Amino acid sequence: MSTDVQGPSRRRRPSGEQRSPGWYVSVVAICALMLVPMYLLVVNAFKDQQDIVSRPFALDPGSMTLEHLAAAWSNPDFDIAFGYAVTTALVLCVNIVSIGVCLPAAYVIARSSRRIFRVALLFFIAGMFVPTQVVLVPVIFVLRALGLMATFPGLVLFMASTTIPFTVFVFTGFIRMLPPTLDEAAAIDGAGRYGTLGRVIMPLMAPIIATVFILNSLSVWNDFASPQLILGPGSGLYTVTTGIYASVGEYSANYTRVFPTLLLAVLPILVVFVLTQRWVMSGLTAGSIKG
Amino acid sequence: MSSTVVDRTRAPRRAVGGDTVVGAPQGPRRRRGIGAVLVEASMVVPALVVFVALLVVPVGYAVYYSFTDYNGFPNRTPEVVGLDNYVRLFQSTDVTGALVVTGAVAVAGSLLVNALALGLALLLWRTTRFTAIARVVMFYPHVLSLVAVGFLWSAILGPQGAVNSLLGSLGASPLPFLSDETWALATLIGVIAWAQFGVQLLIYLAGLQAVPAELLEAARVDGAGRWHTFRHVTWPGLAPSVTVALVTSMISLLKTYDVVVSLTGGGPAGSTKTFAYQILAVDFPKRQVGLASAEAVVLIIIAAVLSFAVLALRRRHDEAAA
Repeated sequence: MSTDVQGPSRRRRPSGEQRSPGWYVSVVAICALMLVPMYLLVVNAFKDQQDIVSRPFALDPGSMTLEHLAAAWSNPDFDIAFGYAVTTALVLCVNIVSIGVCLPAAYVIARSSRRIFRVALLFFIAGMFVPTQVVLVPVIFVLRALGLMATFPGLVLFMASTTIPFTVFVFTGFIRMLPPTLDEAAAIDGAGRYGTLGRVIMPLMAPIIATVFILNSLSVWNDFASPQLILGPGSGLYTVTTGIYASVGEYSANYTRVFPTLLLAVLPILVVFVLTQRWVMSGLTAGSIKG
Repeated sequence: MSSTVVDRTRAPRRAVGGDTVVGAPQGPRRRRGIGAVLVEASMVVPALVVFVALLVVPVGYAVYYSFTDYNGFPNRTPEVVGLDNYVRLFQSTDVTGALVVTGAVAVAGSLLVNALALGLALLLWRTTRFTAIARVVMFYPHVLSLVAVGFLWSAILGPQGAVNSLLGSLGASPLPFLSDETWALATLIGVIAWAQFGVQLLIYLAGLQAVPAELLEAARVDGAGRWHTFRHVTWPGLAPSVTVALVTSMISLLKTYDVVVSLTGGGPAGSTKTFAYQILAVDFPKRQVGLASAEAVVLIIIAAVLSFAVLALRRRHDEAAA
């Protein structure tokens, strides 16, 4: 009886059997399964090849060595710190370009009653269905014609263009939910379109901007095909993903190279993710529902 | 609250100089004419220029090149050859094989991803500290790039990898995860599912929050079992989430490229060669720009048809459920 009183006030879902021991066991077991590759990555980064092959699951502090991690860190093919610097710069620049051009565009599309802007929105949305990696070949020719092939700005512009359809779509949807009386009030106070956007609308868009930032950042961070084809070996630039490929690709049977390199390459982003996970996951949820 | 502020500022102005706002309640700047149009244009044009120059124009080029014979050298002009590339594409067992592999990855992969995501979402439905940690554990592979994921799993599942070493020490014979054609395709799909279901998990978790608790309570009171509650209450309420999760997973799987590069390199014997891999790692390096473009066009059409088909199907289903 007492549970009935508690039930509605705690606003919990019904069906208490979810908390049975069986439920705990299965959740813990699935989590353990998910973490096995991570465990193998960590322990084998400290082992010799022979040890990795014969006892991959063993955790033996006595036979651990830092030798291969040090070698991976000083690998001339892949300076991990440099890869991180390039990728971080890429993430920031793509976000600045993408959000910078999409905010005003979405604002006009959401607020103007002209038909042409409704057509423009459909035009942008159609871009969401283009599998972007697949158009990379013609993109190379366009960038070459613009003199931007194998350059950082060229890569930024292309990656920004791939994020524009979704960004405009989500921003437009969000601005349409804001009351138009806000704009009218700003206009009466003498603010122009840009002033209204910058001082009235943009501050209200903080949550959706954060969401878009997270989504764009994840896709830019993990992209491999675009930097691989656009930057190429001639530019001297590489991201974390293309650096991994350059240093591990031909040596994938040399486990003393694979595990330490991968560990160093994924550790920082994992730490960032764990620290920001609440933010990242709620942002992704918001984005995926709107998308 | 903001509307009261707005009304207060508006009321006195109107009394003084009413003609500045009269007659244009939803667009007060309408009457500025040309100037307003220019301002509006200046706000849309930057986004439009970047979008058109680097996404729309390349799609146009892909269509154009797909009808030509072109090796990509700037000093050569593409020679128009009509439908030759498309004929070659559908006659080459290499390319149609890649099409079949991509279809298998997209269909089996998205079914597996969605089954995993939905199952785990039902398991982790409630929000407690424990499930919050579990969700992070389920989601973390998504922040590892697929290149890293592919190399990691190839080291784990290779002939000398951890799993086969474990099987060996248990006295079992090794499994050909990456060396047998059928196994390699299954391994590829499994690895993709492991790495990618996180986003769909979040979609289903969000969808579950929208299932009305009163209905679940009512079903429980009526004595419905877990399966019936799921089938008649939870599942219909999840319909929009299913649409979104299916479309997003299928479109992203059609582009599968990175994980093929790092996990299998398309092998053995082309058994895991996807369409995107064929374009970017086989035909383009061979300077077959015309053929690669025709393949790109085919994939764009498939992606568009598939997404619209799923959306249309689900819409009919959603309306039936509503």
